[in-house]
Amino acid sequence: MLVGQRDHSLFAEHIVARVRAMLVSLAGQLLRAQADAIGARSQEEFVAEHRARLVERLTGQPDLLDQIHALAIEWHLATDMEARLTLDPVLSPLLQDLVGNGDPEIASVAMAALSAQARFAQSQRRMEIALAELPADLFHDVLVAWREINDAPGSDVLERAEKRLRDEFDEGNSRLSLFSRLVMALGDTAGAALQVEFAGVGLFLSALAIRSGQPRAMAATSTNPQLIARLILGLRAAGLKPAEVEAQVLRILPDAELVPDLDSIGIREAAQWLAAANTSGAM
Amino acid sequence: MSTIATQYLARGKVDSAGQLVSADQPLADLQRACGGHIGGALAIPELRALVDKARSYGLRLARRFSAIDGRERISAWVEIVPRIGTDGKAESCEIGIVNWHTEPLAIEDDAEVERQRRDVYRLLSELTARLDTRQNVIAVEVEATDLKQLKIAMDEGLGKPWTDFVHFPQLVHEQPMHWRLLDGAQCEIPGSERSWTAYLEPLGQPDPGSLGFVLHLLSDTPLDTPVMDADVDHATDDELPSLGQDLAPVLRQPINRIIANAETIRSRLAGPIAPEYSEYAGDVATAGQHLLGLIDDLSDLEVVEADSFVTTPDRIDLGEAARQACAILGARAREKEITLVPPVVGEAQVARAEFRRVLQILINLVGNAVRYSPEGSQVWVRLDRVGSSALVTIADQGRGLDPEEQTKVFRKFERLGRSGDGGSGLGLYISRRLARAMGGDLTVESAPGQGARFTLSVPTGE
Repeated sequence: MLVGQRDHSLFAEHIVARVRAMLVSLAGQLLRAQADAIGARSQEEFVAEHRARLVERLTGQPDLLDQIHALAIEWHLATDMEARLTLDPVLSPLLQDLVGNGDPEIASVAMAALSAQARFAQSQRRMEIALAELPADLFHDVLVAWREINDAPGSDVLERAEKRLRDEFDEGNSRLSLFSRLVMALGDTAGAALQVEFAGVGLFLSALAIRSGQPRAMAATSTNPQLIARLILGLRAAGLKPAEVEAQVLRILPDAELVPDLDSIGIREAAQWLAAANTSGAM
Repeated sequence: MSTIATQYLARGKVDSAGQLVSADQPLADLQRACGGHIGGALAIPELRALVDKARSYGLRLARRFSAIDGRERISAWVEIVPRIGTDGKAESCEIGIVNWHTEPLAIEDDAEVERQRRDVYRLLSELTARLDTRQNVIAVEVEATDLKQLKIAMDEGLGKPWTDFVHFPQLVHEQPMHWRLLDGAQCEIPGSERSWTAYLEPLGQPDPGSLGFVLHLLSDTPLDTPVMDADVDHATDDELPSLGQDLAPVLRQPINRIIANAETIRSRLAGPIAPEYSEYAGDVATAGQHLLGLIDDLSDLEVVEADSFVTTPDRIDLGEAARQACAILGARAREKEITLVPPVVGEAQVARAEFRRVLQILINLVGNAVRYSPEGSQVWVRLDRVGSSALVTIADQGRGLDPEEQTKVFRKFERLGRSGDGGSGLGLYISRRLARAMGGDLTVESAPGQGARFTLSVPTGE
């Protein structure tokens, strides 16, 4: 049973390994910046020496773990859909359309999103994640964790290194931000982004999150077979019709046994259930 | 942002004290609609939170924010660039707005409300007549005995306007008036002592009524209830409008507006109102949320209490329902560091029940367990079978219930002395009604200090 479940569990070995590797890559980027700043003799030695502690520290940040875990699941889905449906994990049909859009803003945001997605795919193949791809809140948390393990208050060198990292950070250039902005720019036509085979996994998940009012990490995680009910509720809350929900669920989880009758839930009901599951139960 | 051809719709600047010192349209208008002014504190709640974040982190942000200007919901994309001073502290922030969408604050879907209304009339009407475009009677069906006289009159007078056969005590104009004016009109019917309300369902798109109408006559009083006997409890119930179907849609919209406006007031933290008023606004918003939850519960209550309530059973797997319920509540449990232990994948218990109702019950039970259990505890969901009953048990490590509480916990509006947590005291009552409607039951075993075990049983269907 355990072996049979391996590929489908939320915490399958390959997912956990990818999460771990991404944390190692984040720690490495911070430590290399630090080694440069303090003029360490060997960058790689410095990194090797401090990495374990920083990784352990980052592992203790639940929000960061959720985000990284969601990225691992997203990439798993992207490669899965590439294998099953030959959907290019970088250039989706919708993104291709948008790059040629008549509105120069949409076209240029789509172009930027496309290159961000290409960078993401490249780094995922190496099981890495760029610091700059984190949302601002997590980027901040990671810097604070890094500052704390250094335990060197008032070190000018480290402060300058941190300031440089903060100055260089621009959330608007990150892949997730560009996808959200594209969904916003699409406005009423964003429905196209809710067809995963057309939008591509990355843009689809951003549209699903925005339309259903969920955090994107939550939306991404719901593509795991264990969370099929959440996926169905999310798609319904995003405004898809029951038949469209079914089609999308089967594209994402072809082996899914559709929960009977769950798709008869109304759009508002679905949104209420999702909101209730995130905030409170009701006695 | 060199690669992106960003055209800012509006720019603004917030100084080190959080004052919006300059803003283009439509940002300036929104600032005023939220009660602020140019040169005053930034008063747009979500935007203010983002600016504060950008300043405290010293990071450039690019996010979506939404706001309500009183009439419309606005969502916009904003880029915020903090200007860092020589001391490393953020001084001012530049705001750039791209993408500005507005949508009317119609929280209720009109078509949905209309559809619900029509369903209710179809279900309850005691006379249904098909009318042509001029409201002349084409055919008529009645269900109540006191409408027989009217039916005979209409059958003999087919082709005449329906208004010829009834009397409108409150309308003096020549009939038939425009259908919208007659929709909802009170009327009296020869041969019936009851008072009646007429509803007209227009047929035809896009011009309602272009294909004629369906006339529904509904009475406030069922025929078999003595008309004068208003002191009996159930008779007064019948005279009230239906909460779920008539009132809930009407109530939701103003309450949503109260909440939205109270939130706007509450979030105006540094604005021109004193902090205690902001707290009052927070209380108003919380009370509004509570009221909304109550309306939802009461609508459910009405559905399950109706004599006509039936479920549509199907062959389902209780294990699957339990796993889904735990998955849906997983995030909330993690917040409280509560571990949910659903049946392992592969463990199944076949039952004959309606999946979404079982899921609704399990979400209620697991939700309660999460809400009332201590941090760091565990909630187990187990499957079992006794004879021809399939069982799901939800066991928690909360404070448990004494025998008296166990008898009370399934009562309507029972809160067991709890208050202020947004519960209505209806969840367990509704869940038990649902369970019984499916031919099962919902029971509890518990002892103080030992946690509680709620067990849902439904037929195995074998």
